[in-house]
Amino acid sequence: MSHSLHGTFVSEKINKIRWRPDSYNSHFFVTGSIDNVENNIKLWDFCENVEEDDIYPFLVYNLPYCGDITEIKFINSDFFASSSSSGSAYLTRVIPSYSESTSLKNEIEWKNIHQFKNGDASPCTSVTVYDNDIVTVGEDGSINLLNGKSSKILRKIDDADSCSIQCVIFLKHNEILTSNLRGQMKIWDLRVQDSNRPTSTFMISGEQVTPTCLTYHPTQRHLVITGDDLGALTTWDLRQNTYPINVLNGHEGAISEVQFNPEYPDQLFSCSSAGEIWHWTTKGEAVPSLLTPNVETNVWLAPDNVKNKLDVFTLMPTLGKPINSLDLNRNRVICGCDNEAIYLINGVNL
Amino acid sequence: MLEAQDIQAEHKDLIHDVAYDYYGRRMATCSSDQYVKVWDQTTEGKWIQTSSWKAHSGSVWKVTWAHPEFGQVLATCSFDRTAAVWEEIVGELPGPGERGTRHWVRRTNLVDSRTSVTDVKFGPKSQGLQLATCSAEGIIRIYEAPDVMNLSQWTLQHEVQSKLPCSCLSWNPSLNKLHPQMIAVGSDDANPANGGKVFIYEYNENSRRWTKLETIGSVVEPVHDIAFSPNLGRSYHILAIATKDVRIVNLTPVEDEQSLQSGVTKLDVQTMAQFEDHNSLVWRVCWNLTGTVLCSTGDDGCVRMFKMNYINSWKPVAVLKGDSSKAQCSSNNAANGNAVTAFSGTARYIKLGSISQTRETPWH
Amino acid sequence: MEKEIKTFLIPNDLCKRAGIAGTWLALDQISVFAYEKRNIRQKDQPSHFASTTQSSVFHLRQDVVLFHPILRKLVNESNGVFLAIQSLISSKNADLRLELFKISRQYRSIIRACLENLQDEHTKSEKSDEKLELQNYITVFYSIECIWHLCEILFIDTMPGNLVLSQLLEWVSFHFPEYERNAASMLAENVVGLETRSEYWDTVLGALLQGRIKLVRALLKQHSSSDNSTYRLAEQILKAMPTFNGPGGSSLNELNMQWRHWTMDVQSKIDSKLFSTEKNLDLMMRLIVGEEKAWIEIQDKCEVWYAYLAGWLFFTEPTVKSFELGQFAKRAITKLRMNNQMKQLDKVLLAAMEFDIFQVIKEIQHMYDNGWFVSHLTDLLYHCDRLCDLEKEVPDFSAEKLRESFILDYGTTLMGHKSLWQVGLTYLDHCPNDGLQVIELLLPRIHMDTEAKAQKVVREAKNRELNNVVQSVCKVQGMLSMRRGRLGNALSWALKSQDGPFTSFLADEFLQNYIKSGRLSSTDLLDNLGSGMLVSDRLIFLGKYYEFHKLYQSGDYREAAALLISLLASKIIPKYFWYILLIESIPLLESGDLLFSSNDTFTIMHCMEEKKDVPELKDKLDILRLAATRNLSRALTFEAQIIE
Repeated sequence: MSHSLHGTFVSEKINKIRWRPDSYNSHFFVTGSIDNVENNIKLWDFCENVEEDDIYPFLVYNLPYCGDITEIKFINSDFFASSSSSGSAYLTRVIPSYSESTSLKNEIEWKNIHQFKNGDASPCTSVTVYDNDIVTVGEDGSINLLNGKSSKILRKIDDADSCSIQCVIFLKHNEILTSNLRGQMKIWDLRVQDSNRPTSTFMISGEQVTPTCLTYHPTQRHLVITGDDLGALTTWDLRQNTYPINVLNGHEGAISEVQFNPEYPDQLFSCSSAGEIWHWTTKGEAVPSLLTPNVETNVWLAPDNVKNKLDVFTLMPTLGKPINSLDLNRNRVICGCDNEAIYLINGVNL
Repeated sequence: MLEAQDIQAEHKDLIHDVAYDYYGRRMATCSSDQYVKVWDQTTEGKWIQTSSWKAHSGSVWKVTWAHPEFGQVLATCSFDRTAAVWEEIVGELPGPGERGTRHWVRRTNLVDSRTSVTDVKFGPKSQGLQLATCSAEGIIRIYEAPDVMNLSQWTLQHEVQSKLPCSCLSWNPSLNKLHPQMIAVGSDDANPANGGKVFIYEYNENSRRWTKLETIGSVVEPVHDIAFSPNLGRSYHILAIATKDVRIVNLTPVEDEQSLQSGVTKLDVQTMAQFEDHNSLVWRVCWNLTGTVLCSTGDDGCVRMFKMNYINSWKPVAVLKGDSSKAQCSSNNAANGNAVTAFSGTARYIKLGSISQTRETPWH
Repeated sequence: MEKEIKTFLIPNDLCKRAGIAGTWLALDQISVFAYEKRNIRQKDQPSHFASTTQSSVFHLRQDVVLFHPILRKLVNESNGVFLAIQSLISSKNADLRLELFKISRQYRSIIRACLENLQDEHTKSEKSDEKLELQNYITVFYSIECIWHLCEILFIDTMPGNLVLSQLLEWVSFHFPEYERNAASMLAENVVGLETRSEYWDTVLGALLQGRIKLVRALLKQHSSSDNSTYRLAEQILKAMPTFNGPGGSSLNELNMQWRHWTMDVQSKIDSKLFSTEKNLDLMMRLIVGEEKAWIEIQDKCEVWYAYLAGWLFFTEPTVKSFELGQFAKRAITKLRMNNQMKQLDKVLLAAMEFDIFQVIKEIQHMYDNGWFVSHLTDLLYHCDRLCDLEKEVPDFSAEKLRESFILDYGTTLMGHKSLWQVGLTYLDHCPNDGLQVIELLLPRIHMDTEAKAQKVVREAKNRELNNVVQSVCKVQGMLSMRRGRLGNALSWALKSQDGPFTSFLADEFLQNYIKSGRLSSTDLLDNLGSGMLVSDRLIFLGKYYEFHKLYQSGDYREAAALLISLLASKIIPKYFWYILLIESIPLLESGDLLFSSNDTFTIMHCMEEKKDVPELKDKLDILRLAATRNLSRALTFEAQIIE
């Protein structure tokens, strides 16, 4: 497992880090900070020095930001959506230039779309995108449906949840999954108008555990994995969502982010508040059998014994502080941490 | 290097007291104009006044915040012989898009005193919600809210008569539930013949009464302020006293036959430091959060700070004083070279000029 | 020891006239306002300051250098190194000293990286006040690195036989690299006749004083007269200079003898006036033999006394031991007549050479406002066992306490920063005496404006088993949710900390709201209370009552009735809610199907009689009695039939 690790101190805590999706194999990535008096979204590039086997990132553009950045999601290589602890959400454009360096500009600001009834600002805790559709959720328990082409709120589901909603992902174009502070997961059908009731609700666990991140499998979107406050990864098949398929304990801290590799869908990456960043991979290959077409070949969906089918590798020695975010691009992994540094891990064995 | 941010207080007279909430994000000021004002700090660091109301019918001497576990709660005391407890409530939850009205309501008016109430302080939260007041007639009153979620109900639990008029009090902020509660009270009586001016009281669980443990005989001048230091788990207590000088006193519980039998703690009192730097009367003393730096206010118009070093000896470290020269304004520049502060109104800090002087008289 | 006390001036006229008072605002801020003591016995009337004069409150904060973005990198990176030391110590590594030496070099390379960044920023910057600020930082950290390097040589590195000269020379040339640089660039030109360059002889002399004999020889070779006899003689001498080849080579005694021979040889050549034609070479030779006059001549060329010292030692005391440095240093200082011109940096370096570690630490502490240097260096020296020696010498000294006091201070300063508080925690974790208590005091004071941050603080508290802090943070978040009208969320926080009384209070709020509005809110929460319900009886009741509602609404009347009876029989019904339950039993009593057995009906009647004085029940009491009685008769009839 030889991969190279390069760390850079950036003088701010990074809460979210995202590769810019780009078919030209460029190296741009974006970071969002927290806990600063003035927070920033920064656009980075990196230089590869092949002789010295050295990689170092450098700053391309800095966009000051109001509030903590709680989530960043790219819509395409030119636009990304972000959510702020001030209760606003933004659509930002990456503007390439040949004469000057690439820059960032806020195209749309959805200001204070999350608010408590007493007038206090409510943090917008997460944002998710599907094509140009954007959904935000917040501590005020409401859900906003937005679109990248318009600065108006298309629809607001008020009081969707009696607790703070912390995570949200699109399952299908018209369906989203949210999780709240108490560990309740709710599936919403967005075609149903004038309703603030979810189509289905289930608990992540019998105990009060807070889910801290959600992700879906790249090719089978009914396969959802939740990471929680106690360091466990729970696998769900949403076609029948009463009980989880698997629970994988392992992380010391709360899991801050979990993602499948889009090009190698059986490989999973997770990072935690204890400073761990792990790579989960299946042992051997799952060979689809023509004789038994109904047997589940996706290891993640196989019940029981999944622990025996998985190898876990640590990508970095455990950092003393939380790793808040990670993102994948082919065999490169970047992560942003609370020790005010970002790490680039190159050449991960997939 | 020190930088200062100037906040226009808008009181019509001098401010008597300023108090900050637990997080240092809200400020309450009170004044001779009988008003109390509450300020909030925005995310950009500016302070905005969010409430202002006439709290008493006389000068308001002191204002203090309760622990946020009890909500947003203030207590004030005044020349008008009353102390009051205030709670911030959100008005009717309005429709979407409107800001809820915030205002402070008087939850209770404590009218037991017949003279000016000179100090009011909330007790440590481990014992529920308690409030102590002291007055010029020399009575210390301890109130309790039996239901912490209902601040309109307060009962007067104890009345302690001290022989001399009281000017200030301080609760011992021990984190340890096992320590009996302790209060220090200071008197500004001017007659040295009347004896010591600092009294230490302790709540005795057996007799369910507050008993006087000790009168600090070494302090015979009038005492204007008194403050226990935050306790880091030490077995002894540190008390700062504002009198004709700044005094720091250690109180160590002594275990001997007598105290074990009676259940009343015996204290060994030792003066650790005495600073005459103000060269005049000292009006206020205030500890920082960890009890490592003491700040004092004196009649020389200065604020002085004293710090303790690792061998437990105290030394002065800085002095603040007013000056008429014009301020040099330099706006709070953003850290990165190419970052433009998009948000107008980030807090502006001005750098303070300073003069250095070597100490003339090394103490002790 | 005298220390300067700074007086800071608040630019405000009212403050000047009235005087000021101060109060602490936060860890790093103090609040000051114009103040005049009012005697409570005076008449209560406006003071003579009451007028149009605007009174202000000033918030003063210390400008902590370490919070500058470039220096923040230093803070974070050095934190990593600090933690590496602590885990190294606990792992009882055999090669501890060597590892600590490597760590010292790591610290220094972090400082140098920081200096580079500062330099880059300084070059890029266009604002004069910013440039000035950066220049100050550069000066500060440059001197820090210089002191650290010397301390590393003297206190951390282990040298066989305590021979310190080569490291000392390395240290000097590191900090005065211009001679090497100039030499390198001149030699790179590869031309003869370099002496025409104005800096030539200065470079040669400088290199000589840094003991760079090879460089001197190379430069001399490029002199246009390098072929003449004097130059060749000089080259011969320099080539023959005895060098110390490390522990494997000749012993110290042998080296000393060789050196004496060689020096005598040079001296005789000087006496024979063999160098008189070339003044520069002559000077160099006289320096080599340690001639007083020669050394006085070049005094002015030395920028600092320690450059002079290193050179002088190289030629007169090549086998100098580390513990002898102090006396030689003092001599050098006196020679250069610097005794009254010693700057802070000079004092620290002298103290280090005198092996007065205590003094070094004292000086460092006062030189720099921020505690970064003194705390990290003291920690390193402590683990190198360099401080325990002092315990015998200095009265009342505890190495452990000294180290802890610095780390505690440093950690506390960081706790006051919005982002670096986590770094502060790790330092406080390694203060065995007071660290945990300070964390307990400061952790709950961190301002938590998002739930994500509150959860982070709770996690840090849980990791350190600070349950009080966990409870407190959860309670504050719960109260905050309540203020915002989010009862469901408040309940989540109450359940998170298993806070019985608060949970009961919230459950009461839910029930009271139901009484007022007729609707139970946050039903999604009540649907899945799970085992958390057990924290409070009131919550159990709420959960069960909600279940009752659901059963009723879905038409499961039989189940609903059974649940109702079990609720009535339990002891958990709040007083104010009895009449609601009783009233809601009426439709079930009157239902077409027989839902209640006779026993059940007796239970209801019993409760009804107990509560008949409740005012809200007054109107319905008769209806209730009637319904109950009717049901009773039906039930008894039915049961009688069964028996038959």
